[in-house]
Amino acid sequence: MLVKMTKIQIIGTRDVVDQTVKALHRAGVVQIEEKLPSVDPLALDDVAARQRDEMTLLVARLEALLALLPKRPPPGDMAARYDAEASRSTGDVLAETKNALAQLDAPAQNLARRRDELQADQVTLPRYATTMRQLMPLAADLEPLQHYETVALLVERKFAAVLEMFREELPGITNNQFEFVSRDIDKDTTAAIIVFSREHSAAVHNLIGRESISQVRLPEELTNVPFQEALKTIETRLASIPKELEKLNRELDALANEWHARLSVWGAVLRDRLQELEVRGRFGATAYTFVVGGWMPRQRVPELRALLAREVGDQILLEEVPVTEHDLEHAPVVMSNPGPAKPFEYLVRMMALPRYGTIDPTPIMAIFLPIFFGMILGDVGYGVIVLLGALYLARKAKPGGFRSLLIVILYCSIWSIAFGFLYGEFFGELGEKLFHMHPYFPRGQSVVALFIFSLAFGVVQISLGFALGIYQAAKLHQRHELLDRVAKVIALIGVFGLVAVSANYLPKELTTPSIGIVIVGTVLLMYTLGWIGILLGPIEILTTLGNILSYLRLAAIGLSSVYLALVANELAGVLGGGIVGIIVGALFHALNIALGILSPTIQSLRLHYVEFFGKFYEGGGTDFAPFKRENIM
Amino acid sequence: MDAGLLAIGAGLAVGLAAIGTGLAQGKIGAAGAGAVAEKPELVGTMIVLLAIPETMIILGFAVAAIILFVK
Repeated sequence: MLVKMTKIQIIGTRDVVDQTVKALHRAGVVQIEEKLPSVDPLALDDVAARQRDEMTLLVARLEALLALLPKRPPPGDMAARYDAEASRSTGDVLAETKNALAQLDAPAQNLARRRDELQADQVTLPRYATTMRQLMPLAADLEPLQHYETVALLVERKFAAVLEMFREELPGITNNQFEFVSRDIDKDTTAAIIVFSREHSAAVHNLIGRESISQVRLPEELTNVPFQEALKTIETRLASIPKELEKLNRELDALANEWHARLSVWGAVLRDRLQELEVRGRFGATAYTFVVGGWMPRQRVPELRALLAREVGDQILLEEVPVTEHDLEHAPVVMSNPGPAKPFEYLVRMMALPRYGTIDPTPIMAIFLPIFFGMILGDVGYGVIVLLGALYLARKAKPGGFRSLLIVILYCSIWSIAFGFLYGEFFGELGEKLFHMHPYFPRGQSVVALFIFSLAFGVVQISLGFALGIYQAAKLHQRHELLDRVAKVIALIGVFGLVAVSANYLPKELTTPSIGIVIVGTVLLMYTLGWIGILLGPIEILTTLGNILSYLRLAAIGLSSVYLALVANELAGVLGGGIVGIIVGALFHALNIALGILSPTIQSLRLHYVEFFGKFYEGGGTDFAPFKRENIM
Repeated sequence: MDAGLLAIGAGLAVGLAAIGTGLAQGKIGAAGAGAVAEKPELVGTMIVLLAIPETMIILGFAVAAIILFVK
């Protein structure tokens, strides 16, 4: 069901603007629309404008600070704290927030930066240490010399020829003032160390750069320290990092414990105040009055009226505005379905939000979708496993799309169990073998009956879709859609008549009238579609028939799952039924369950989205976004 | 009719329909994956589009089943 919306207009004297905005904000039931271009805007006075700018900045700083601090769950008395802060004047809250930020910003940023540096060191230093340990045997031979520079190189063995080239070129470049040692340090790396006078530094680095050899680069502060010392420094630093990190984290935690709740409350209060100031941009004003319009659920108008009377007084008037059909097309949409059908709203939204004034298919989907799923999967064993899995995950999942999906699967699994009893399936035919489960409707053997059963669902749902489509088109005065759907229904009735005659449910004499009805329907459709209809009319009728035939997938996909289960059990049997057999069988069943959740869901969804929705559904609605306080819990 | 010919007919009905479905789904899937990467809210439409050619193989299966089971 889509909630009935109404357009309202609030007019009041300018001295009650503040109270009105606050009351509307608290009520949180009105989506405030842009003011009419013909009305002057309600300008903010200088003080308010300055406050708005200041608040925007502070909120940004506050959020940045909160992002630095470790997360804390909101305290239980959040609502009370919010009310306490919200009752103070904006100036006071602003001043206090500013003080707190001035006091906290620098230390928090400092702590966070040092933590990040340490964490980076923790990753990079061990890499240096490994390389340096590899170079150690080489470095041990070299005396640390002042005025000399040391460069360490690691070269892949296959490029070792480069080192020979160095050995030849270095005397020329450095005037023979160099030392060059190299050694293979593991099976595919050769290490080399070059020591040379600082005055030739540029030339040597040039040479290394030209050959693009990876030079071992140390952190800057270690570059001029002898190798052994540098390695020792790195090792001591690595050892001390965990303790330092712990200390930093403790300090950050302490800050968070002290400030997180307070800062979040201030953030919420300031964001709300900011919204209250910004929403005024959509208010219109005259010299003495203001006016604001918006959409709200019709049912809640009296409630809002009472609230405004209580909080603002009698200088304000709330009235419902008559709306045109054009207006209604743009009305925001609120879906409201009874609890059990609620999770299915998510699936409808996945397609598109229904346009205001059209039919919300959620309740119908809530009935048919699980049945379709159950009919396809139809296995007690699989059903129980899916049921338990969905139950377990749904209890852990946070409210939202994923959880809705799990609840939908939960309903689906219950129908799977029911159909499983009907088909007599428990992990395929295992139930029949193990505990003589009696199939009332063995689908593997009565394929044709199963096809007819599936098609019956198609006939029911497509007819329902057309009925809804005709009702909706009549309600919304869509003449074209109305004729189109009526024509298709007439043609379908004729086709049903023909089928009934050929199955001997109707006397043979009705053949000609049935054909006549099909022709009437087709011609009416051709007329509706215009010239192109001569071509499209018959095709559209065939497509509609195709839509019904599409429900065969309920039988077909189900049978494939039966056969997969059969294969699993047969394979286990062939392997002797021992442990190996059971494992292989279980693996196959697991695969079948995975497919058995995915493909029935997609197939039943598709039957709804394409075949069923196609008959009446109109998407393109916009979500209702009321002007309301932030949810801080 | 010869049981062997019936079986070949059923096989062709499923197999050829599957090839058609596969070709169509391949193209739709590739385009759809690209679309969803840019606009995740299109996932519903994408599933619908992806599932449309499946009708072919399902009808193929129905034909095969009728060949084999309806005497």
